[in-house]
Amino acid sequence: MVFFGLGGLLYVAVLFINGIAILSEDRFLARIGWTTNASDPGFGGQRDDVSIKARLINLVSSVRTLMRIPLIVINTFMICYLLILG
Amino acid sequence: MQRPQYANMPPAHSPPLHHPVPQHVSTVPQLRSPPPPQPPSQPQSGYGYAQQGGAPPGQPGAGGYNMPPAFGGFINDPTAQLGFQMGRSAVGAGQAYVEQNFGRFISVAALKHYFNVTNSYVANKLYIVLAPWWHRPWSRAQRMSSNPQDTYYLPPREDLNSPDMYIPMMALVTYIVLSTLLAGLRGAFHPELLGYTATTAISVMLLEILTIKAGTFVLNISSSSQLLDLVAYSGYKFVGVIVSLLLSSLCSHLNFGGSWISWGVFLYCFFANAFFLLRSLRYVLLPDESGQGVGGGAAGYTVARSQRRWRTQFLFIYSYPIQFAFMLWLSSV
Repeated sequence: MVFFGLGGLLYVAVLFINGIAILSEDRFLARIGWTTNASDPGFGGQRDDVSIKARLINLVSSVRTLMRIPLIVINTFMICYLLILG
Repeated sequence: MQRPQYANMPPAHSPPLHHPVPQHVSTVPQLRSPPPPQPPSQPQSGYGYAQQGGAPPGQPGAGGYNMPPAFGGFINDPTAQLGFQMGRSAVGAGQAYVEQNFGRFISVAALKHYFNVTNSYVANKLYIVLAPWWHRPWSRAQRMSSNPQDTYYLPPREDLNSPDMYIPMMALVTYIVLSTLLAGLRGAFHPELLGYTATTAISVMLLEILTIKAGTFVLNISSSSQLLDLVAYSGYKFVGVIVSLLLSSLCSHLNFGGSWISWGVFLYCFFANAFFLLRSLRYVLLPDESGQGVGGGAAGYTVARSQRRWRTQFLFIYSYPIQFAFMLWLSSV
């Protein structure tokens, strides 16, 4: 019963996280300035941590660092599942 | 003065009286009722006063019972008492096992707080969900406990604004059953429909909670509201969906107004739900607008104007378009 609709949701979530994980750090993110220490701590040395852009950048970089290896495992499972069961 | 002496008086001889003289002694056993079941060793608040309220039943006197004496011997039989004790300890061990293993995942005490409702609370809350325009104070009541760090909210029994889990759970099950029933009346029922509807409803709730959590993280809102509060708030929309489904199917069955009536009812329920969420989530998503702050979490933290504008916009976006999309999805059965 659980698998009926939630399988599609899981599929979408895995594809989305795959998309975030394969963004290239130096070719793409640095171009648009979305790396972690892009904002220059000019005046008093306090890093800009609370604006929306900074938190999104933080989220993207943490997803990339944390989910690299589990994504390999999850992708292998999904490939085997889709190959066997269509 | 001396008593006159009567010499040789024969003993007084009364005529024989014919009162019944018991001829054989009947041994009536002293019957005692079995000892009342003792309350379990762990303090369970739900079971506590049910046990202590029932006083141990009085021991009936020996009047009139003519049971064979073997019955009295059964209670005092050591084997039976051993059986009772084993049963008691088995029940206690089972309760301890459940508490230990499932207490880590689902904290039962927190769940009990959400199911602590009364009939009048349910009726008033349903009225507020469907017609929230006239309800005046929307803030949840707090109560200070002994140590000042530990303020907690009043349970739904005492506070009308406190979210509960009873109504959302009932509404979810009613929605699943109702949509399957309507599909069956249309002739399009198959048994997997129950599972599909259940997963649809649960994924709607999951997506809503994900949206709120993502919004809280991105906008840096430090709110101390629990996860079950958000589940409860996202479950209140099922009440509106049920009302809209019922009225629209009734009107289409009676050939009453066509699609105008169903759209009208749906839009009314949507606006009522959006207003209700707007007022209730104001204290979750915008914690520094309330009087004293939320438990000291937002104390001393001044929010920039742009932040506050983003938060208000997020609240509006969550309450209106997202809820519209979800309710439309749920109603398209």
